[in-house]
Amino acid sequence: MTAQQPVYEARGISKRYGNVIALDDVDFSVAAGEVVGLVGDNGAGKSTLVKALSGAHRPNSGELYLDGERVEWHSPQQALEAGIETLYQDSSLAPDLSVSANMFLGREQLVPGFWGKLGFLANKRMDEVASQELQNVGIAVPSSTRSISKLSGGQRQAVAIGRAVSWANKVIILDEPTNHLGARQSAEVLHVVKAARERGLAVIFISHTLPHVLEVTDRIVVLRLGKVSVEAPTSEFTPDTLVKAITGLSGAA
Amino acid sequence: MVFAIMVTVFSILNPRYFSTASFGNIMQDFAPVMLMAIGQTFVIITGGIDLSVGAVLGLSGVSAALTVRATTANGIDPGLSIAAGIGTALLVGVLVGVINGLLVTRVNLAPFIATLATMGACMGTTLVVTGGVQIAGAPAEVVQIGNTRYLDVFTAPLLVALVILVVAAVVLSKTRFGRHTYAIGSNVFAARVAGINVKRHLMKVYVLGGVLASIAGLFVYFRLGSGSPASGRGGELQAIAAAVIGGVSLMGGLGRVTGAALGALITASVLSGLILIGVEPNAQQIVVGALIAVAVAVQGIGRSNAGS
Repeated sequence: MTAQQPVYEARGISKRYGNVIALDDVDFSVAAGEVVGLVGDNGAGKSTLVKALSGAHRPNSGELYLDGERVEWHSPQQALEAGIETLYQDSSLAPDLSVSANMFLGREQLVPGFWGKLGFLANKRMDEVASQELQNVGIAVPSSTRSISKLSGGQRQAVAIGRAVSWANKVIILDEPTNHLGARQSAEVLHVVKAARERGLAVIFISHTLPHVLEVTDRIVVLRLGKVSVEAPTSEFTPDTLVKAITGLSGAA
Repeated sequence: MVFAIMVTVFSILNPRYFSTASFGNIMQDFAPVMLMAIGQTFVIITGGIDLSVGAVLGLSGVSAALTVRATTANGIDPGLSIAAGIGTALLVGVLVGVINGLLVTRVNLAPFIATLATMGACMGTTLVVTGGVQIAGAPAEVVQIGNTRYLDVFTAPLLVALVILVVAAVVLSKTRFGRHTYAIGSNVFAARVAGINVKRHLMKVYVLGGVLASIAGLFVYFRLGSGSPASGRGGELQAIAAAVIGGVSLMGGLGRVTGAALGALITASVLSGLILIGVEPNAQQIVVGALIAVAVAVQGIGRSNAGS
């Protein structure tokens, strides 16, 4: 995996909030068809790194490379357009809208011709495509015309991940995707993550739930106090050594 | 259903209530309230509120009146002068809408505070430019346009209002603009990370609210043939009542233009009904306030039932 050219790479990322150094010279990369786990204690800098990678925040220093080319994000929109999808920890679905309206939020398809120029939505088409896309990534949702507020927590998360996977064409960032989910629902989410890897996407998987990280990732990057403390293939970790790496008790480096 | 009971009760209390002439009067009251309610619906669905619409109605009406009076006094043809009046009123609506939008999106004021501020500013401006007195002396054409009825009911302003109703309903339910309006009110974070330009969209929505309120002001001016500094007072309450009665959720994300229009019809019917059975006009505000409270309470009951 390491020999492969990374799709998305961050070099020497630092970010300060006032006097607090959230990230200190962090290197991070992910390759196509690879799932990288990003773990660390609260305050280790995971969220800050996610925000830098997704374009939500600009780091104070450091560089981002997409397909080997230097990129800079001035908004999350630019990262989206470049093929980087982010599933945020806070729900990024609009509960009052339907499944398909959420799938196409911000990327609505319009009817052809004159009416389309006036902004008329191609709802039927979007409903069909949404159902199809969710099926493709292995997500079963009763109907794409149903309102998100009528779905269970697990179904909502499945839709959110389905949206990210179906739109991403390079990188997908999943921030705590199995949070608050039951065992069966978590298994579905992990299944979708594996499907995304098979589609050749580069997946960044952030989670506190270490068994999920050990199950689904190829490589794990441990952040501690704003720095990368350990980075190794997942096969080299046991639950025990991973906890020690996160808490800093092992002395491993 | 509610509407049918209400019409029956008022008709029994005063038989004149149920006549086409009376219906025509109700429709004349209804048109401005409905326009304000439509604008309010867009704003409320985004999770905001616009308290300035009544004051914008008042300021637009007197601005039109002052413009028409000044231009006709200089010997300008009534048609042109009326056009100038319409232009001035619309400009007022756009301007206040832009200020509301800027206060909400750039200064990050809560919509409630931002529009309360512009409401005060508009009411003050209205009093300053009129000196607190009616601006009369409009050419005869003004009242003619505002009061000539077709089929006993339809005035030109009412027809314009109905066209706006249809267009607004279609825009909100069928277009991308409408979809983004719902998305912002439903989850502003989701809208932002989906790449919707939330600030620009909110600007447009507040400008829409301002423009519709200024058209409402024009309707009142065309009906009365004068610009009254008192008109529009309490209009924001009527508009909010209409929207909420029509099922628009004050939490944002839910509601329809047609619901708000029906709400405006109910509000206008209640108010004219109260006049016909002899309730003094000042007491009407109490009824409007009560209507809002009841409608929101009913929505809350529906919501908690759906949740449990």
